[in-house]
Amino acid sequence: MNLFEKIFNYQIISRLDDNGTFMVTSHERAWLKTMLEHPAAKDAFTAGTLEKLVSLLESDPLMDTADHLVQKARSREKQVYHPLLRTLRRHIMAKEAVQLTYGTKRGSVQEGHAGVPYKLEYSMVKREWYLLWYHLRRRSLMSTKLSKIVSVSHQAIAASKYECILQEISPRRDTRKFEVVIEILPDYNRELSRILYAFSSFEKDVAYNADKDTYSVSIILTGNDSDYLLSKLRFLGKRVRVVKGSYLKKRMQESALKALKLYGELPSEEELSG
Amino acid sequence: MKRGIQVAKESFDKEIQFLRMLALTSGAFNRQQFADRLGISVHTFDKTIRRLKDIVSSTYQHLPEEQGKEFAETLKYSYYDSTDPMLLFLFRAKSVKESESQRLSLLLGAMNADALTAMELLDMCCSSLPAGVPQPDEKTIRSDLKYLEEVGVIRKEGASRPFRYRVHNDLVQQLSHEELIDLYDFVDVMANTQVPSVQGYLLRDGLKKHLLRNQVEQPAIEAFIYKYHYYSRILDEAHLFTLLNAIRQRHRVAFLYFSPKSEKSYGSKNTNPLFERESEGSAIKTLPLKVVYDHQYGRWYLLASGREGIRKYRMEGITRMETEDQPLSEEAFQAKRCELDEKMKYSWLIDTGLPVTVRARFYSPGDSEPNFVRARVLLQGQWGQIVDEDPYSFIYEITVNGTTEIKPWLRSFGSSCEVLEPVRLRREMIAEWKEILAYYEPFRENF
Repeated sequence: MNLFEKIFNYQIISRLDDNGTFMVTSHERAWLKTMLEHPAAKDAFTAGTLEKLVSLLESDPLMDTADHLVQKARSREKQVYHPLLRTLRRHIMAKEAVQLTYGTKRGSVQEGHAGVPYKLEYSMVKREWYLLWYHLRRRSLMSTKLSKIVSVSHQAIAASKYECILQEISPRRDTRKFEVVIEILPDYNRELSRILYAFSSFEKDVAYNADKDTYSVSIILTGNDSDYLLSKLRFLGKRVRVVKGSYLKKRMQESALKALKLYGELPSEEELSG
Repeated sequence: MKRGIQVAKESFDKEIQFLRMLALTSGAFNRQQFADRLGISVHTFDKTIRRLKDIVSSTYQHLPEEQGKEFAETLKYSYYDSTDPMLLFLFRAKSVKESESQRLSLLLGAMNADALTAMELLDMCCSSLPAGVPQPDEKTIRSDLKYLEEVGVIRKEGASRPFRYRVHNDLVQQLSHEELIDLYDFVDVMANTQVPSVQGYLLRDGLKKHLLRNQVEQPAIEAFIYKYHYYSRILDEAHLFTLLNAIRQRHRVAFLYFSPKSEKSYGSKNTNPLFERESEGSAIKTLPLKVVYDHQYGRWYLLASGREGIRKYRMEGITRMETEDQPLSEEAFQAKRCELDEKMKYSWLIDTGLPVTVRARFYSPGDSEPNFVRARVLLQGQWGQIVDEDPYSFIYEITVNGTTEIKPWLRSFGSSCEVLEPVRLRREMIAEWKEILAYYEPFRENF
């Protein structure tokens, strides 16, 4: 299998799009056939569709990548698909509002909240799906685990109101954004690529100061990303230092102090100030 | 070309290095610095940028064509707009002559509507190709058809000559609109959450264009987003299938390797090791045994057997790969594979050093909150076990090869994790926390 087939060439693809031709190669079919063997397929399709797909791909081979490809440090895959995805994605596509009943972290049940669903978000870290929605009465942006949703039903909304809300979401989200800056200690520049890989899942900019041979990474976050970034920073340990972002600085210091206390190694005030 | 060696017809090494560096260091370097690090001239840098820009703008037609907009900016990862994997265009970069791309798309368009013979297709081509484009002959059409059949895009119909050919697109023809939406969603989810993913992204792209042609609005299609995704991982899939193929056939490979960690490149030259000059790479000949994808960093490794035993290579450092065509005997290959499997049994990632038992106490966050520490240990702790538990804490135990690879993970829990054994790891952890604390010392008075 060659991923650089000329049939994937961008000029061919854009011409095919112009003349309305759908093209699929045996590579893509083999991939699809292999993926259909994943348990997630049962939640993704009705039984009839799944059967149809399997028979359409009958003459195609399976990919044997799993025999030679090992995946390491992978999270337990507790949820790839969720049964509610199909329902919720259709509400989003039809530009509809919904009535949601869902459980909270602390175990209470919130009944019949009206809102506009706008995205379904999968966390690669927690391996779980979330519904991002706009709470109509509270006028706030919400994120609810699909596994916590008890029921979803249709709720009428005027098209004009729907559009208004959708317009509001992006600027609202932007107001929650803030920037932090992480510096890579020059002693660890030889690990630069690894460190940058670790930050590659964030919205970021990298700056290089040639005089000091120092790289710094500025990362754009929204409030609830801080915890994940914090775990990444602790993961990288002494290779990186927060230079802008007092919340993260404080949390890093707190982590170090508490950890040392745990080990019975808390330095005395004297040592700290020295 | 040397005998017995298959050389890739077109190497995308430069493009891959180029894009990886853009994706990882987004905006850190000016043209000169960037070119220096890649070991190319500024002229080549400009040329490559122009070519990549061209591909990007015709692949993603909805992109605003802002004059002077920085290329890095175009490729920049922006979470809420990240539904199209921008780096996918690398796999669209294979160069094809203008006349060939016109002809192939014309042929496919015609076979989309009807099942046609080679001669009918030749006639159609001769009458439809714009003036100035060279007219194809029968041999060209036949070889095009052979190629298209090989890649599975078209299918022969009927059993007797002359054969008729039709586009092989049952996948969209046989499914209802609702079913196509389900298929698009499934492909989107699997391409984003599983590896390998490039074929999935290519399929997603085709299905999306098909849905858009059938009056589904763009925002309505893109309902899913993926948080904390290593989107640049697809660049390294470029080598994946060549390597998997070599493993399958028990062939050795040769490549020029740039160790991303090489000390030398950092010494006096002050260069980023990832993009050092070609002359500094080392020529490697080795027998690939396994490919490893590390979810922790979103990176790929090749595990191979060389003269010195088991060797590990980072996929990003592999360039100019060639496959030899003398297979090793099945028996000898299996022996090496078994040896590797045995050594990898306790690798947190790829360490094949001596196994050691790590014990750590994890502390619960307190009564008022759900125990997210425990949930995360269960989710990410691989084959480790919780061996003892009380209301405030639990002990996690795991046997791993060496402690280097698990250490960052344990440290990422901050003060919720106390390493108990081995003592050496415990001491290292204490020393590191002291160093980290020192980084924030001046800050102490400010809060």
